[in-house]
Amino acid sequence: MDQTGASFARVALRYVTPRADGQTGHSTPIGGGAAAGDVLSNPAIETYELTRRFPSGVALDHLTLRVEPGEVLALLGPNGAGKTTTVRLLNGVLRPNGGWAKVLGVDPEVDPNEVRRHTGVLTEHAGLDERLTAVENLLATARIRGLDDQLARRRIGEMLERFGMSDRADEPVRGASTGQRKRIALARALLHEPEVLFLDEPTSGLDPSAIRDVVDLIGSLATEHGRTVVLCTHFLGEAGQLADRMAVLSHGRLHAFGRPSELASGLWRGLPTEIDLGGPATDDLVAAARGVRGVQLVHALPNGLEVVVDERQVLPQLISRLVELDAEVFGVVPHPPTLEDVYFEIEARVATKGSSQLDGEVPPPVAPPSAATRKRRHVRADGGVVGPSTPPPPPPPPAPHPEEATR
Amino acid sequence: MTVVEPTPATAAPAPTAGRGRAPRVPIDWQAVWAVVNKDVTAVRRSKAVVLPMLLVPVLMLVGLPLFISFASARNGGLHIDSFLSNVPHHLAAPILSLPPKQQAIVLVLGFLVAPLFLIVPLMVSAVLAADAFAGEKERKTLETLMHLPISDRDLYLSKLLSAFIPSVVISWVGFAIYLVVSNASAWPIMHRIFLPTWLWAVVIFWVAPAVAALGLGVMVRVSARARTSQEANQLGGTVILPIVILVVGQTSFLLLAQIWVSLTVGAVVWAIAIWLNLRGARRFTRDMLATRL
Repeated sequence: MDQTGASFARVALRYVTPRADGQTGHSTPIGGGAAAGDVLSNPAIETYELTRRFPSGVALDHLTLRVEPGEVLALLGPNGAGKTTTVRLLNGVLRPNGGWAKVLGVDPEVDPNEVRRHTGVLTEHAGLDERLTAVENLLATARIRGLDDQLARRRIGEMLERFGMSDRADEPVRGASTGQRKRIALARALLHEPEVLFLDEPTSGLDPSAIRDVVDLIGSLATEHGRTVVLCTHFLGEAGQLADRMAVLSHGRLHAFGRPSELASGLWRGLPTEIDLGGPATDDLVAAARGVRGVQLVHALPNGLEVVVDERQVLPQLISRLVELDAEVFGVVPHPPTLEDVYFEIEARVATKGSSQLDGEVPPPVAPPSAATRKRRHVRADGGVVGPSTPPPPPPPPAPHPEEATR
Repeated sequence: MTVVEPTPATAAPAPTAGRGRAPRVPIDWQAVWAVVNKDVTAVRRSKAVVLPMLLVPVLMLVGLPLFISFASARNGGLHIDSFLSNVPHHLAAPILSLPPKQQAIVLVLGFLVAPLFLIVPLMVSAVLAADAFAGEKERKTLETLMHLPISDRDLYLSKLLSAFIPSVVISWVGFAIYLVVSNASAWPIMHRIFLPTWLWAVVIFWVAPAVAALGLGVMVRVSARARTSQEANQLGGTVILPIVILVVGQTSFLLLAQIWVSLTVGAVVWAIAIWLNLRGARRFTRDMLATRL
């Protein structure tokens, strides 16, 4: 396997390798024992071989990852992938069958309450008692968290104000919309100013407008106070907007972990780019493009060319060559792989391999998905993405002629 | 395209052996009362829970005294001679010494209702306990609760108290109403306040809370395993109903016999209830709850 071919596996495996200090699982004070700025040696969240089995099967299978303070991590995967189980394990709701986890340096299996004091959770369902008002729901949570009533009421007022729910503060939750409930639930999750925030499907069940609001809110939460956020979702749109890194889970196993760009560089070689020539490219232009160093693939398009280049720096040279041949270049549009491209490629490879980890035997990288492939995916109004296999896609454009398609 | 090289990792996994346990901490009463307060407030606003829960106490503690007093006042009163002939002499003698119209009132309202009254704390605690965890699951509020910093023990305790306190309060308030209604409705016949008696005092303040705790010992555990309140009630019904029959059937005459016997019956019920609840608390874990979500 060539160097780039193995890089995806390396990216995944390096990022999932445990911390270097060999620290034991003893409970240690949160926020203590670490010098300020000693970020790399004190991850906000760390797991090693974390495993949980249920009678119905393995929900989480040897999960190893590390999340730095202030980072937004997206846990991606279909339903049943193990995202919610991961959050429950990290917050000490479930106990692992194997491996260990640490949140802010504390093992949730050893001292779950200490972990929960410093984390906030927004569950998939807002989890508000409909018979109580927003204030009563939040006040109950604040009291359980040990806040005195005066402070709690002040914080509740501030949070409801911030989330635009002040006018519904004293009304039963029963009459609130799903979006309003999510806002109240977010306010509740932030009452005690947690250092780590777990957001489990925060936008599920919301209409597009509410999704935008909630995503904006989460975006602002993630950037304030260096808060660490774990975002569980199968909506790639919000993950792409919010997350620094992504972990792709499927059937309880971690299949990829890293920044989308890092994962993409391990999956594919090259940058697909559309060159608008105002009409079909001549054979001379296609041949000339193929002759430029660093150009991997050339497709003829009705209005020009689609090329795959080794890197962005190849483009000026390519354009110069085309201009030398009297081509009129109306536009050059690079299409770096999106989060959706990365996610679906990983899913496809996992499905092909049927394996646990894409380790060492990853299929050699191919060109990133073309514009045509992308068009076959649909970003739903709610931000979810429907893959190519999910009906009903629009009729795909005709495949390029084999002779045109490859160099 | 540049491949970003992540930090190389060379570490061995941290050992899991020798991991300690968090030291046992005292009960966090603020958290416990917060859950109790939330649950009681929510129940008070739920007609679907409150109405069925109040129906039996109202019928038994208001309807029954009114009926007995009304029936005794008509014609020659209720004829209970044949019934009293089957009752031990030391119980029957004082009643037989009363005027005929007063006999039925004293027998029924002063003695026979006492053991039946135990249905009230048992039923109320069972209804509320069935809702304790199963209701939270149904309303999808349980997961949020499990993510809060309250220990498993304190969470279980708070759910016990959320059902126990209302059931005892309803029993005691119901008994107060029963006293007023019974004495008032029977006044034209009795011409005196004949309730409460020592027997009633023992039943209300000693046996009734024990019976409520017994119902909880069963129903909270059932609730933790059921997915809905309805399922919990159905599951609990197979256990609770036999207990009701057993308690009422077997203790009726015991409670009527002597005060010390009533005290002993209460002590036995308390012992069983405490054992059941302690066992339930020890076995209760979030993990078990979350597994059934």
